[in-house]
Amino acid sequence: MGGKVTCTLGEVKNRADLIIYWGGNPADCHPLHFSRYTLNAKGKHVPQGRKGRTMVLVDVRETPSVRFSDIFLQVRPGKDFEVVTTLRALLKNRPVDEARVAETGLTLEQLQNLVDRMKNARFGVLFFGMGLTMTRGKHMNSAAVLTLVAELNAFTKFVSMPMRGHGNVTGADVVMRWTTGFPFGVNLSRGYPRFNPGEFSTIDVLVRGDNDAALILGADPGATMPQPAIDHLARIPTIVLDPKLTHTSRLARVHITTATTGISAPGTAYRMDEIPLPLKPILKSPYPTDEEVIRRIYEKVKVKPAWSPAAYAKVPCA
Amino acid sequence: MPPTTLENATCTFCGCVCDNIGLEADGDRIVKTKRACGLGEAWFKNHTAERLYPDALIDGKPASVDEAVEAAADYLYQANMPLVYGLSNITCEAQRKAVALAELVGGVVDSHTSL
Ligand code: SF4
Repeated sequence: MGGKVTCTLGEVKNRADLIIYWGGNPADCHPLHFSRYTLNAKGKHVPQGRKGRTMVLVDVRETPSVRFSDIFLQVRPGKDFEVVTTLRALLKNRPVDEARVAETGLTLEQLQNLVDRMKNARFGVLFFGMGLTMTRGKHMNSAAVLTLVAELNAFTKFVSMPMRGHGNVTGADVVMRWTTGFPFGVNLSRGYPRFNPGEFSTIDVLVRGDNDAALILGADPGATMPQPAIDHLARIPTIVLDPKLTHTSRLARVHITTATTGISAPGTAYRMDEIPLPLKPILKSPYPTDEEVIRRIYEKVKVKPAWSPAAYAKVPCA
Repeated sequence: MPPTTLENATCTFCGCVCDNIGLEADGDRIVKTKRACGLGEAWFKNHTAERLYPDALIDGKPASVDEAVEAAADYLYQANMPLVYGLSNITCEAQRKAVALAELVGGVVDSHTSL
């Protein structure tokens, strides 16, 4: 798959004249994305703001984001991969079968028009959301989009960026990358990191019942995961750190209330373009921070005999 | 005491992480936000610093943080393969310690990215 061709949101703001959102609804889910970083922002090389930019929205249904877009392409559900692949073929002037294209819900003219716009953009950006990465094709869809964008750089400057949800999920990727070499789903049970999505991803681990304890940090799998995963969490010793009593807290053996990130707990969070930003708390919580509680658990475990001679401990807990 | 007004607070509700939010606090709650969207405003106003929940629970019964930390450490230490999951709503500093803890107890560490 190779690397991702990307940039910061500051560059998008100052340069992008073609903005594509694929499989997401920023108007509802990232309400200030348009005004701070993309469509409506006035940039150094896009001084007219909205008038200087074209927005294309690709999604399987009409959402409130449609009315912000210049072009809306409604793809048939589950056909994103076929659309991306057709775009890649058109980009290279390869023949495509019009009947097969029609199965995606779009016409060849629409896709050719999009390819022409992409090639002729001065600076294009493709934001992709969970409508692309969590539906049929999943990571193959992400790979296809990243490849399309990389290939577009033979014609013009083009970048891609995932539209990340939860506040600091980007930070989790970054921190795991620099501590273990992998972005998520890292198994350290042999004393060194192993990465295998589908095997060491949480849902798979829980549904198979591989783990015999769980520490849940600021998440509520008891409300969102499939039932077999929840049953397993209830069966094993589960520990929850959260500012609220969650569904998971109710099935856990241990719950510890913590201060709310960014409101009463200081630290750092990453924006979706991997820019770290400081968090400045305005309230003083009666509860300890997650950071402090994790450190205290760490110190309690650290004084016990090591579970393996090789185990102690490469990642610093400074 | 933390300040009662902030001009450039950071909202962590969505991936935009807007860092230009104006806030005004009164005692243990935020009463006014500036430049936040509706989601951000609700995020700031709904998270007060009141003591709404027990410090900690062990088997559903109120406990002290010390006891809960001790119990958590024992469970994680005794497990052959613990899972450390979540990480998306905590700070990078806490995430780093969570990875260190996962290594120490020989477990899997994972975030919402894997969903
Ligand atoms: S203010 Fe709104 S757009 Fe900005 S980070 Fe918060 S929720 Fe997201």
